[in-house]
Amino acid sequence: MKVFPEDLLYSREHIWVRVDTDMATLGITDYAQEALGEVLSIELPEADIYVERDETFGSIESTKAVVDLIASVSGTIVSVNEDINDDIGIINSDPHDTGWLIVIEMDDLSQLDDLLDAAGYQDFIMQQESE
Amino acid sequence: MKWRLLKYRIFSAFENMAIDEAIFRETIAKQKPPTLRFFGWHPSAVSIGYFQNVDEEINVERCRAAGVDVVRRMTGGKAVYHRDEVTYSLTASGAEKIFPDDIILTYELISRGLARGLSMLGISADPAGVDGAALKKKTKLSSTCFWAPSARELLVGGKKICGSAQVRRSDAFLQHGSMLMTFDASATAALTLPSSSETLCRRLRDSVTAINEQLARPGSAEDISDALQKGLSEQLEVEFSEGGLTSSERHLADELLQKYTSEAWNFARKKDTFRVARERAF
Repeated sequence: MKVFPEDLLYSREHIWVRVDTDMATLGITDYAQEALGEVLSIELPEADIYVERDETFGSIESTKAVVDLIASVSGTIVSVNEDINDDIGIINSDPHDTGWLIVIEMDDLSQLDDLLDAAGYQDFIMQQESE
Repeated sequence: MKWRLLKYRIFSAFENMAIDEAIFRETIAKQKPPTLRFFGWHPSAVSIGYFQNVDEEINVERCRAAGVDVVRRMTGGKAVYHRDEVTYSLTASGAEKIFPDDIILTYELISRGLARGLSMLGISADPAGVDGAALKKKTKLSSTCFWAPSARELLVGGKKICGSAQVRRSDAFLQHGSMLMTFDASATAALTLPSSSETLCRRLRDSVTAINEQLARPGSAEDISDALQKGLSEQLEVEFSEGGLTSSERHLADELLQKYTSEAWNFARKKDTFRVARERAF
């Protein structure tokens, strides 16, 4: 069973969120990267773009499929992980840390209330797998 | 609940991609039952994967000279030359629990249904082993999809007869794949890059087959798609009911046609220009 960091929040679209005041760092979860397999390509927006919660902010192509990335919170993108351009493999090898994707300056912190904590995300995955 | 069947019809490459995306979006937005669609392509076309760079994968000048359309798919994977084939698309929302969450297992389940259909035509086919290694290696010879077996392909006597690709949004998926009726290795090699080297032609001939190469008497696209539908019906234990596009799907497909006919999408993958009003529904 995978262990998900306690200091992160999680969406049902398998995106993790690290919160620092009004800044949210987003990435795909370890569960998602394993389900996708080796990531081949990624498309992310540029900084200063506004994204809305539940909307697509990018796409990932793995050896298995193209998957849309769904924003967990609304806000303006202030940073995009440039290290991915040098080594896309970090999304697979270190998804919860150096494999982060974007940082969003949130404009509605109450949206965080709809995200899951680590235990809740673990339960969500187990529920999905048992269906 | 019965699944919808859209029987074999021929459209342009742009119409085909617009219709598939419209069905996918409507299936997600309205949590509709799955749809199985069969279609052909006229004029012939080369489709490229979502992330591919046209100029690196396709000989665009030759395509234009030959009247072959070029279109970018929503799905990933490599370039496919669509000429004489039956293409299927299967769309399902997350509410449909027949399909496992595991992407590869979904490919396998659908491949087994397609193999059943081929067996009804007298062709013995098997899903390729779960080994995506061939796809992971980007080599100079790997620009075409029909080249190296992976879990996404169906094989006959070790040769690929059908290649498939998926796009996922939330927990819904659209999978489409090309079932070749005949195969023209020279044309495929000429339209994709690196252009028609003898090595590529030979390797394509050695690794790809087609339905009508396997049958003593050629089958029609309608007969083949009927058999594939029956195979999927048996494998998935579902019933299909013939239908058509809904008015909202037709309207959405008309809007999406602008995207799929545009150079911005096909040559530069600029999708934001083509956001349609209903995008926010997701």
